[in-house]
Amino acid sequence: MTTPRVGIIGVGQSKFTARRNDASYPDLVREAVVLALKDADLAFDDIEAVVYSLSPDAMVGIGNAERIGVDAVGAKNKRFLRINTGGATGISSVISAYYHIAAGICDVVLTAGADKVGECGDSQTVLNKIWDPTYERQLPLGTITMLAMSAVRYMHKYGMTEEDMARVTVKNRMHASKNPHAHLSKETTIDEVMASRLISWPVKLMDCCPQSSGGGAMVLASEKYIRERKLAAAWITGVGHCSESYYLGDRMGRGFVADHADAHALKRSFERSYAMAGVNDPQKQVDVAELYAPFSNTEFHSIEAAGLAQLGGSISQLREGRFSLGGEIPVNPSGGTLCTNAIAVTAMIRAAEIALQVTGRAGDRQVRRAKLGIASGNGGDHQFFGTMVIEA
Amino acid sequence: MTNPSRVGVIGVAIHPHITDARRSLEEILFDTTREALADAKLSIEDIDGIVVGANDQYDGRAIAVMAASGSVGGVDRDILSTPSAGEHAFVLAALRVATGQFRTQLALAWSPTEASPLHEVQRLAADPYFHRALPLDETSAHALQATALLAAVPGVEEAAWAIVVKNRRHGAAAYPGVTSPVAGLSDAYPLRWPLRADMVAAPTTGAVAMVLASPDWIADHQVQNVAWIAGMGWATEPSFLGDRKLAFAPALEAAVEQAYTAAAITAPLASFDVAEVSDTTPYQELLACEALGFAKRGDWLARAREGTFATGGKLPINLSGGALTLNPVFCTGLIRIAEVANQVRGRAGAHQRPGAARGVAHAASGGAMQYNTVVILSRGDEGARA
Repeated sequence: MTTPRVGIIGVGQSKFTARRNDASYPDLVREAVVLALKDADLAFDDIEAVVYSLSPDAMVGIGNAERIGVDAVGAKNKRFLRINTGGATGISSVISAYYHIAAGICDVVLTAGADKVGECGDSQTVLNKIWDPTYERQLPLGTITMLAMSAVRYMHKYGMTEEDMARVTVKNRMHASKNPHAHLSKETTIDEVMASRLISWPVKLMDCCPQSSGGGAMVLASEKYIRERKLAAAWITGVGHCSESYYLGDRMGRGFVADHADAHALKRSFERSYAMAGVNDPQKQVDVAELYAPFSNTEFHSIEAAGLAQLGGSISQLREGRFSLGGEIPVNPSGGTLCTNAIAVTAMIRAAEIALQVTGRAGDRQVRRAKLGIASGNGGDHQFFGTMVIEA
Repeated sequence: MTNPSRVGVIGVAIHPHITDARRSLEEILFDTTREALADAKLSIEDIDGIVVGANDQYDGRAIAVMAASGSVGGVDRDILSTPSAGEHAFVLAALRVATGQFRTQLALAWSPTEASPLHEVQRLAADPYFHRALPLDETSAHALQATALLAAVPGVEEAAWAIVVKNRRHGAAAYPGVTSPVAGLSDAYPLRWPLRADMVAAPTTGAVAMVLASPDWIADHQVQNVAWIAGMGWATEPSFLGDRKLAFAPALEAAVEQAYTAAAITAPLASFDVAEVSDTTPYQELLACEALGFAKRGDWLARAREGTFATGGKLPINLSGGALTLNPVFCTGLIRIAEVANQVRGRAGAHQRPGAARGVAHAASGGAMQYNTVVILSRGDEGARA
């Protein structure tokens, strides 16, 4: 069976900041929707279905907050559902919107959401509630301590140093300085990162993503719709998901099912996306990557899971500039999750940025001659992974 | 637009009333998944992808799908979650099979009762500035909907009681010993006026799982007992109750139009052998009857008196007893779809309608039926070609 092709025809994103006192949660969603519709030159009446992107409700302090978002996305009397795969939610929502069109049900689908992580009180208190109340919640785990353990394991296996981690932050801040939407866009140095406050060894404050507020939206359309109207589009050629175990204990100690240093399920997800897109040599075929990495250390195993370097090989290659703007395969030219994290839409922005890159619309952060890009999202306790291949 | 690719339901497990407190949530999900897989005569290795309807607030966990990952077979698989409604898991699973990129999907939803009082959880879904202080939970929203109908339709309360009597009678046959019949008009105390205690079932713990497959997979494995999706529609009402005319259901009408167009349904009452509709309150079943084209509001009481929608009637509605009998709140919608699938597969047990070949399910979630999903299922694939 031949699946109809699906294109991205509109992208909207806020200027992300720590707080948006001027806008309520639905206001932020609407802000991104208006930008995406303007980018696609469409009106609300053109939209046939909406996929709502929202991770834990507790971040915005409203249960089933998608219900009060219905008006913000103009979904009254239309097809509407919400996706939540934690931090992967944004890319899972784009992929779910893709399914609406690939199934032949709709021609034009909007996906949108927003977050106010910067105003939620403390995201780590919320995120502690993702763990099992009996066994792991009271340790207490947070996403920082969880991925600090991954960093320690990665150091042990592959020789990563704290300075190597700092180098990721320096690179991504340099990229973010060219991105008008980025939350943290001030350039920094290895010394500054090393001197920043210790959060959970070896993760320091500047190895961590910020808590961001803002919205994101994308408009997807069928090939038929795009061709008939002679629209410009970035084409989705590969999609995939894969998940790991729930319990962190299953990734450690004797008999673990996956090594917590690596990103086993992210690799499997990329394998699925690559197979669909016909990518068999990512190091040669991928021009640009936006990989969900909320902590500096996780960019290394994400690069390796995407097949852009061998296991442990990304450390020296990043040092040599291979993944910087101007390098062979720029990774996170937007500054990535490390510089902006409005959780509900962070992984959507990864896909949106790649759509901008392969259509030559990425401004000062544009990767020259980018024709094929990849995006990823990670959610849960490093558990759910969504990936996409997007081409010109 | 019609459904381009046929999708079949080949396995179902329904548990609307789980009382064994010794089983953890993960054990309940594991057992329900295994039962649906066994019904489909396949193993978890045959499942290409999973969609679960999981609600953080009801479960008392942020990102509630996480806990399901192991127990429903999600590890190393493509698993997504639709926290908006349990029935949305079915919608997305069906879309995924229809793309041709998946041969099979597991759709699953559950609804616990032990984590926190549901009305308190639901109150947190109200807009924090204007409505949360009211307080506004789902039962209150349902009551406002009932109030609007009382004002709009003379005699509607009697028709509503007839629905309660019918569904509880159905429920007593479907789940003997679990529910108690209701004689008729009751002066039981109002939970939220005008909804009296007998008009709403107390929340139960429940879980439901369904296995969906592509026509190629079904042909390759020679699966005989299939409920084919002939039409599917889903739509939402706006965010705020104040923006809605609660005596009407335009989003449900939109969902019906999508499903009926796909299945080429023009004479609804004559087109189905069974229906399962949202009946969290009897007033919702009445609204559903109208939107689905079964009975206009002026005919509600007459149809009830004639027994049109009772066992043995022209079109039995909610032979399972519906949510008026057993109401695992967050998975009640997916159960409506699963019940119709079982009816057309001849596997509905004590409440099977003999010879049922085509049925329609209506699932609603949220306050006063905010989300509405309509699924038409057919035993033969003639309906699926429509």
